[in-house]
Amino acid sequence: MLLGIDVGGTHTDGVAVDLEADAKVVTSCKVITRHDDLLSSVTEALEIILSEVDKSSVTQLNLSTTLSTNAIVQGKTEDVGVIVSAGPGVDPHNYMPCRDFHVIDGSIDHRGNEVRALSTRQLTEAIDSCRDNGVRVFAAVGKFSTRNPRHENFIRRSVCQCRDDESCEFADFVTLGHQLGGALNFPRRVATAYFNCAVWRLYNDFASAVERALDEMGLAHVKVNILKADGGTMPLPQSRKMPVQSIFSGPAASVMGIIALTDIFHDSVILDIGGTTTDIAVFADGAPLIEREGIAIGSHPTLVTALKVHSIGIGGDSVISVVGEEVRVGPNRLGPSVCVGGERVTLTDALNCEGACEVGDVDASRNAMAAYAEKHSMSPDKLASAAVAAASDAIHTATKDLLDEINSKPVYTIHELVENKRVVPKKVYLMGGPAKALKLDLFRRFQLSTEVPENYDVANAIGAALTRTTWELELFADTQRHVMFIPSLSYRENVHTSYDQKDAEKDAVNQLTMQLDSMGVFLEPEDAQITHTSSFNMVEGMSQVGKNIRVKCQVRPGVVRTTGRS
Amino acid sequence: MLKAKNNLGIIFFPAFDWAISPTHPERQERLLYTQDQLREEGIFDIEGVREYKPDVATTEDVERVHFCFPEVSSVTTRSHMISAGGAMKAADLVMEGERDCAFAMVRPPGHHAMKVVHGSRGFCNINIEAVMIEHIREKYGHKRVAIVDTDCHHGDGTQDVYWHDPDTLFISIHQDGRTLYPGSGFPQELGGPNAMGRTINIPLPPNTSDEGFLMAMERIVMPILEDFKPDLIINSAGQDNHFTDPITNMNFSAQGYAALNEMLRPDIAVLEGGYSIQGALPYINLGICLAMAGVDYSHVREPNYRPEQIKQDARTTEYIEELCKQLPKLYFDPPAFDAGDDSRQGMISGDTYVRHRQVYYDTDGINEVQQETLTLCKKCRGLFKVETRADSGPLCLGLEIPIDACPDCRSRGYQLMEDGLIKGNYRYMQMINRKDKDYVRHGF
Repeated sequence: MLLGIDVGGTHTDGVAVDLEADAKVVTSCKVITRHDDLLSSVTEALEIILSEVDKSSVTQLNLSTTLSTNAIVQGKTEDVGVIVSAGPGVDPHNYMPCRDFHVIDGSIDHRGNEVRALSTRQLTEAIDSCRDNGVRVFAAVGKFSTRNPRHENFIRRSVCQCRDDESCEFADFVTLGHQLGGALNFPRRVATAYFNCAVWRLYNDFASAVERALDEMGLAHVKVNILKADGGTMPLPQSRKMPVQSIFSGPAASVMGIIALTDIFHDSVILDIGGTTTDIAVFADGAPLIEREGIAIGSHPTLVTALKVHSIGIGGDSVISVVGEEVRVGPNRLGPSVCVGGERVTLTDALNCEGACEVGDVDASRNAMAAYAEKHSMSPDKLASAAVAAASDAIHTATKDLLDEINSKPVYTIHELVENKRVVPKKVYLMGGPAKALKLDLFRRFQLSTEVPENYDVANAIGAALTRTTWELELFADTQRHVMFIPSLSYRENVHTSYDQKDAEKDAVNQLTMQLDSMGVFLEPEDAQITHTSSFNMVEGMSQVGKNIRVKCQVRPGVVRTTGRS
Repeated sequence: MLKAKNNLGIIFFPAFDWAISPTHPERQERLLYTQDQLREEGIFDIEGVREYKPDVATTEDVERVHFCFPEVSSVTTRSHMISAGGAMKAADLVMEGERDCAFAMVRPPGHHAMKVVHGSRGFCNINIEAVMIEHIREKYGHKRVAIVDTDCHHGDGTQDVYWHDPDTLFISIHQDGRTLYPGSGFPQELGGPNAMGRTINIPLPPNTSDEGFLMAMERIVMPILEDFKPDLIINSAGQDNHFTDPITNMNFSAQGYAALNEMLRPDIAVLEGGYSIQGALPYINLGICLAMAGVDYSHVREPNYRPEQIKQDARTTEYIEELCKQLPKLYFDPPAFDAGDDSRQGMISGDTYVRHRQVYYDTDGINEVQQETLTLCKKCRGLFKVETRADSGPLCLGLEIPIDACPDCRSRGYQLMEDGLIKGNYRYMQMINRKDKDYVRHGF
């Protein structure tokens, strides 16, 4: 039995899925999310589910939480000492995330050569200043640290003065930039390392509380995974060092839910139409598209991998307004719809009037719409249909724009440019409250087969329950310098001049498998996919002096099983 | 967050799967470290900076500019069409107002490709700037364009394409041709009889450093641009003036390149040469991007940058100061065309200008012989005709009816084409009619 809990903005959804019985949803529940006490919402949902299923049959709990996201949005974060080695380039002070930010002289170049050693004097001063301010968590970030982590390691040793990863009397936690992923992007590395530290304590307290609660409920044997924004999970113990990876996992849960509920193998569009927003996601060849570089937290772009989800301010509770001749829907939400006791007419009220759905008090919707139409000298029918049309148009246009953006993504080889793979959706999947009611209108806009899957109201929790662990790593090898390095694992090996692309690909897959294995995740060899591989001959003068190899390998987001559709 | 003052579009196309040959400077690896540097610096995350995919140039885009013999597809590869298409995309971004300025960081380069193309010269097959400019003129109307070529090698191809065009100002700053390929680019090369002073060459002595380049920019280039009042300024942004470049002898730096672009404020920059792929390109490209976007570039510095060591000596400064005194006159008060007796310089007989030339294609090892004639017309810039032969290959004919052609020159062009067809001396014939946008080929 697999449990899935998605702590959302309004509701916390829970499900239990029985893998033995064809991944059938055994039970589900919805409780209110209490933002000041998320744990209580989680335990409440768990208790309801456990009243229906046998505790001993539960093997896994996947949890999607807004904890880190909320902490960041509400500024309930801890002070972080951010110490960077930037070297020449854009002034790093442009990316200063917090007060205790120190730039230390020293630089490493794009090949990973140390051009200038770190200034020990400056570093000591920086650390002292952080300590004076009572800082207990630190981010060590170097430019090109994913090529050579020497400066980051040096900063960590200076901060902690201890060899292992445990906390010491000087610091509770240190984030090393290169461990956040192999991608090249120094400003993002700074921001990601900062956020990772800023929510570290809060997240770890929550993680411990969850473990304690499970223990008390007799679920100590259950393996707990935390959802990430990329549509995968990470085991709870690993997530303690990577709390930043747990942000924005909500939309991912919904998208994974659709994968679990349907059998997507085409290019498709997923529309999750909620109360305030519609989330648009795109699938290429049945797999969700990933944000190319990483998601932004506030105005800070980060390295956190996320599914590409575009949100627009159109939902069931979006207000209808009339400006001149034009009927508009959203982007504001001013309380609930009239049919459930609100004051301003909304998209849901319009759908009620059209007879597309029956939510709450349909007559209240009718009366309010008629009154509002009268004020703008329109017939109520016209107002309702214009509002529904406006909402469908907005969703359709936003989807088209998103597809254009995806299809204009830069490529770097002639082969890719000529091949020109474009995402052309063949199908539209709808979920969320107003999904059924808007189906026909959206079908008219898209002119594509449109489907609303069953159980769509708890798809997010089902997605959470069935999502599998993902992991990715980037391998970088430079045979002239005889170095192979996997930043996210801090794994470094000396390689021979004859080391080549094939060796690198093999090593990347092996290391990924071993890493997952150490986390207790069993991986089929075909699950590890090479997503990027290249090898450049490095030439000096007129002769080849080595190879510059880059391999990226990942376990693609996916679900363990799709529900009852075999 | 960092915000750009100018909206900058970057067309980054490193062609990671194309090389002239495995160890050739123009190989896959060339923009690899530039990519790494730009990504690590987070250039594409700066608000106001956006990366775009290149377009692919069509045969017609090339035939609007060049006489390619035997035909476009046999002297170009896909990578050339993408490189030119990248420059065209940069132009469209700026012309349509989507971006304030754009930088086409594409390869292979193009500024050694001349009007007639039989193969590759100086790593260039088609002139990507010229293809871009004529694309602009075809699509957005006839613009006055200034090209400032800051590649270390003389931009002899671009000079040749615009030799007779008074609406295109071509200024090339380069290492003195007496010391470097292609061995041309001297001050007396000023353009054809109808376009004297629209070609300006600034040959700088070896070891010129930032000081000398910026002096030449400030005292020669900027005053000329101010007077010419171009609709568009284009930088042929070659990066081989760098002190680490393996095939040149200059001492320019990333700071210098950035300052140059800040001064020039090009609407469009197009990458040309530059083969110090680790020590120079990552930093110069970063510097140019930041300067174009109007973001502080003062911290951009090469790892081995020692300004004192690469400083130019007093004699060099003196020499450049003298150039700065002499060269502007060639634009502001160009000498009359000397219709002397040197047919390599061009002679005038009656209403016809004739020039005999030999062009060597170093990359492909081709020797071309050509005779160029221009009708000296009072009403337009005249009908252009070129007869050309590569090595012992067949004789080919190129005719160009200019954009402002008078009826006489226009009908004369068609007449010559017809004569060529009937007399049959030419294996291949191509006509570019810019006035009516008619592009005709025969013999293919």
